[in-house]
Amino acid sequence: MTFRRALLTAPVVATLLLATPTAALADESVQVKLLELNHSGASGTATLTATDRGDLRISIRSRGLVPNSPHAQHLHGSTAGMDFHCPDMSADRDGNGYVSTEEGMPVYGDIFVSLTTAGDTAKASGLAVDRMPVADASGNLRYDRTIAAADLPPGTVEHLKDLHIVQHGVDADGNGKYDMAGLGESTLAKSAGLTGIPEEATDPALCGMVSGAAAGSVPVGGVATGDGSTRDRAAVWYGTGGLALLAALGIVVVTRRRSYVPSRNQR
Amino acid sequence: MIRARVLAAVLVVAGVAAIAVGHHYRPAAEPPRSMPSSPAVARSAASSAAAASALTRGDLLPTSPPTRVRIPALRVDEAVTGLGQNPDGSMQVPTDAHTVGWYTGAPTPGALGPAVLAGHVNYKGADGTFARLSTLHPGDQVEVTRQDGITAVFTVTDVDRYAKDRFPATAVYGAIDHAGLRLITCGGDFDTRTGHYTDNIVAYAELRSTE
Repeated sequence: MTFRRALLTAPVVATLLLATPTAALADESVQVKLLELNHSGASGTATLTATDRGDLRISIRSRGLVPNSPHAQHLHGSTAGMDFHCPDMSADRDGNGYVSTEEGMPVYGDIFVSLTTAGDTAKASGLAVDRMPVADASGNLRYDRTIAAADLPPGTVEHLKDLHIVQHGVDADGNGKYDMAGLGESTLAKSAGLTGIPEEATDPALCGMVSGAAAGSVPVGGVATGDGSTRDRAAVWYGTGGLALLAALGIVVVTRRRSYVPSRNQR
Repeated sequence: MIRARVLAAVLVVAGVAAIAVGHHYRPAAEPPRSMPSSPAVARSAASSAAAASALTRGDLLPTSPPTRVRIPALRVDEAVTGLGQNPDGSMQVPTDAHTVGWYTGAPTPGALGPAVLAGHVNYKGADGTFARLSTLHPGDQVEVTRQDGITAVFTVTDVDRYAKDRFPATAVYGAIDHAGLRLITCGGDFDTRTGHYTDNIVAYAELRSTE
């Protein structure tokens, strides 16, 4: 009995599932172009993909960064419809030739998600350099991580296109590393209670803005949008029409001959 | 004798009528098969490299799912439903000839990126909503109404035909720097062995205005 009921209800449920739009939100993959800031000479691209489970997959490829050094990186911005964007050098209010993180924040917004390599991703981990990705000896940085939906601030996936990726860490004096000799101590780190961190480590090197978007998950192959059921309809009509005309011609020929033959005999 | 003549006349009229009906139902003209390197890709790549300050092109709407699609040139005005993926990873298709499906694994129409709508060319003995999709011309309008009440008006830029086994995933689903739309249906030869058409027709469009 219950089995029979299950048999009956299953198609109904399936039909309902198929009939209603399956998701209110689109899975999408947002392309970000990382542009140099503070004459870092760096460049990069990033992809932010919202999965159908609401997770966020982040992939960053940068080059030209300070080699063998950690690069703090975050999603900056807001989901409250604020119009943040990447700063240009006019944001350098103290005129030291570098836009510091504090100077950039009014333009690109506060830290929204800290893109750490492991563990916590909250704003509080913004300066957790021990969990930030490290550029290799050539200054290339690869970062891939999927942050679970539960660990994302509300609205992240819906506002992916409003967020900016910022990667920090410049080499002002060109000695291949972060040190106090370049730009002194980081006022940002100091205000967060961390002493002895060079300003070079916290000044932004790259800021990314959305440059495009793609499907979040690409279907396999072509699309089966047709069963051919009306494909031969024209041919059938053409065929029928042709046969009818042929039959009409046949009748005309036969009746003509019949009317012709007797008249000849009569003569 | 007269009866035969009448019969012949009736047959002529019926035959001409049948041919006229056949002409009415004739398959839509289709563009030649193209190779997966679509001009749409090259264009978007070229323009995204252009201006650094404005990385995207044209109007962009926030995310909102589509509810209805209108294509004046094809006299199409149909409801839109959501489409996911089948267990084998292929795109689901609408369960009737008329409803148009929006692929939920891609952006919503009017938002940045490629929105994808699929409709049947024919299904279960009826011509589908996209039966004459292949006859769209660049410049034709496609209007998509969204749940937020905004209508995104697109104009067709290209109509191409591709073998399904060489479906241009990057051109159709890949990253673009504007709000795009792709309308997909079937075309080409019909393979009676598999019960499927061999090709897909893809119409590419770009957001031009919003209402």
